[in-house]
Amino acid sequence: MAAKFLKSAVFTKVIFVVSLFLILFIAGLGYKHMTEVSESQESVMHTYKVNVELEQILSYLKDAETGQRGFIITQDSIYLEPFFEGRGKINNTFAELKQLTKDDREQTENLRLLNELIEERLEYFQIASTYALKDQTDLLRFKKVFFEGKMTMDAIRVKLNEMILLENERLLKRKQAYESISNITPLFLFGLIVFTLLLLYLSYARISVNLDKITASNKELNVFKELTNQSEMINKHGSWRWNVNTDEFSFSDNLFRLLGEQPNSFAPTIENFMRFVHPEDVETLKDQVAQMKVDMDLPFIYYRVVHKNGTIRYLKAYGKSIMDTEGNVQLLGTTTDITDEIDSFNALQKRNKELELNNKELAAFNYVASHDLQEPLRKIQTFLSRLEDSEATSLTEKGQTYMQRINVAASRMRLLIDDLLQYSRSSKSDEDKVPSDLNELLQSALIELEEPIENNQAEIVADPLPELQVVPFQIQQLFINLIGNALKYRKEETAPVVRIQYSSVDKTDHPILSQSVAERFHKIDFKDNGIGFESEYGEKIFTLFTRLHNKDEYSGTGIGLAICRKITDNHRGHITATATPGSGAIFTIYLPE
Amino acid sequence: MASNYTHIILADDDEDDRMFFTDAFDELKIGTKVATFPDGIALMDYLNQSDAELPSILFLDLNMPRKNGKECLKEIRQNSRFNSVAVAIYSTSASEEDIEDTFVQGANVYIKKPSSFKKLKNVLSSVVATNWQYETSGLNRDNFLLRL
Repeated sequence: MAAKFLKSAVFTKVIFVVSLFLILFIAGLGYKHMTEVSESQESVMHTYKVNVELEQILSYLKDAETGQRGFIITQDSIYLEPFFEGRGKINNTFAELKQLTKDDREQTENLRLLNELIEERLEYFQIASTYALKDQTDLLRFKKVFFEGKMTMDAIRVKLNEMILLENERLLKRKQAYESISNITPLFLFGLIVFTLLLLYLSYARISVNLDKITASNKELNVFKELTNQSEMINKHGSWRWNVNTDEFSFSDNLFRLLGEQPNSFAPTIENFMRFVHPEDVETLKDQVAQMKVDMDLPFIYYRVVHKNGTIRYLKAYGKSIMDTEGNVQLLGTTTDITDEIDSFNALQKRNKELELNNKELAAFNYVASHDLQEPLRKIQTFLSRLEDSEATSLTEKGQTYMQRINVAASRMRLLIDDLLQYSRSSKSDEDKVPSDLNELLQSALIELEEPIENNQAEIVADPLPELQVVPFQIQQLFINLIGNALKYRKEETAPVVRIQYSSVDKTDHPILSQSVAERFHKIDFKDNGIGFESEYGEKIFTLFTRLHNKDEYSGTGIGLAICRKITDNHRGHITATATPGSGAIFTIYLPE
Repeated sequence: MASNYTHIILADDDEDDRMFFTDAFDELKIGTKVATFPDGIALMDYLNQSDAELPSILFLDLNMPRKNGKECLKEIRQNSRFNSVAVAIYSTSASEEDIEDTFVQGANVYIKKPSSFKKLKNVLSSVVATNWQYETSGLNRDNFLLRL
């Protein structure tokens, strides 16, 4: 939380505000300091002025004293001139001093005392002068006045010195106070300025780092934007933003292209957009847009647009609202052109229907052909049987042989037709699948094969088989065909043995299973000890009408194994065969679990 | 009308089959009177005459022009006048669908035309020998298709 705050923009702002206040404080402090400096200068000047004025008073008094002494000696009034002038000057100086010390109670008091002393001194001058005029300088009284005057003068000197000292003392005190302030203040100010600079640098550094990041992000964003544009073009996507508060839209470049227009060729508004929507879809879309505004969420919607050149395209749109930090609600949406999907879907459906129809037709044709072939054949056979019954004796030996040949050929044709019918019946679909016990189906197959098994003295050994969802009669047919084959292609000298082995295997068991959806398979092997066949025919024997032997040696139509393959295909399974000539064959069926 | 013979009718568009049929009965010599019709329309025209002599057993080929065997069967079983007539389907094919349909519509037996004359005679004599009025009560799907 703290770390997050330190990195946030708010922190930078706080630093700025603090710095601002610090600078204001520094300015205030500096101003105060300057004021103090000028004040202390003024007080120095003040002390200096007071001292000068005080010295001046002493000087005037000395002049007056000197003048009076001259007058007493010479009795010439010319010497009294400085005395009279001095009086006026002293008064002026006094007024000046009074002004200077008006705020200083102690000095004012001192000044009053000084004034009294001066008045007293001047009185003594006056009296002494009067005695001098009367030439009574020898009188004891004169001497006493003169002496009193001198004493007063001394007292004035003392007072003046006292005052000067006091003033100097004041100056010193002020100086000390000022010095103590002025010694700390610059250091403090300097410190503050350094601290403020530090803070500013810190925020500058942060801003600069953020700026770098923003620049980098912007670059990334530009790259991303370009990539998005490309991706939109290649995927036939378009995106749009809708500021719900201001009702402003913005469309991505490709959205314009989806409408068959150049980017930004018209103002991105809902009205302009609706102009492209297929007239049959406008009302629905308008309702959906209105609903979107209420729900702030857009489910998948589908509609058509008509380009200016008349092309109709199918679009699919999705949108979701987001709220930014300022509380503006924006609806962000994506629109995709799904015309190709719909076209290929329709094409696929059409093809499927055609295929289905073809399959049906083929099955029907197969059935009808086999069925209709039976009729003339049956008649040939019936006529033959009648010939044999009643006319055989009147035929020559050759004629009888021909008739037998015809009979064999007709029987073979019957076999072919029956097998073909069986083959066409093997294309039944999933609907007929029911859960069946394969063991039961095997037993039924063995009952059907009872005659050939007995005739061949064959042995059938079977593992227990699973229960499975199958078309029962087809699986039974599959068992009949495979076991029947094993009996038919037996070795002459050896009694046939058929081993039926079961196991459950993974789809990795055989390469043909690798493409299957199912993961596991039931594997049923039919192993015989018959004549086998060349391994190169392992695949070919499953194609319709493929025979490996002359029909004189072995009867057969070449349909039986094709039926087997068709049945395993119907069950999404597989059938394979491996064999070596002279040592039997293995037929393996795989049925998905 | 004396009942010293069994009255039998065959409706089949195939001339050869009609010949096999009548020849077989001729050779069987079991006192039958056989009439044949070349299609369903001719058969029904005959049966619907009020004075028509109704057969004991009617052999019906399924695949006939104009009116096929199934249509005839339906009409016959909807008319109570023909209740005494036993209907034997007599067809080249024995598809599950055909067997199912005709059984449901009330045929008595389904015969797949055999491919030798000897077998044909066996089948026909067996059908004629059966007392259909009695058998009807025990009619069931399993022995509907005649196996010999």
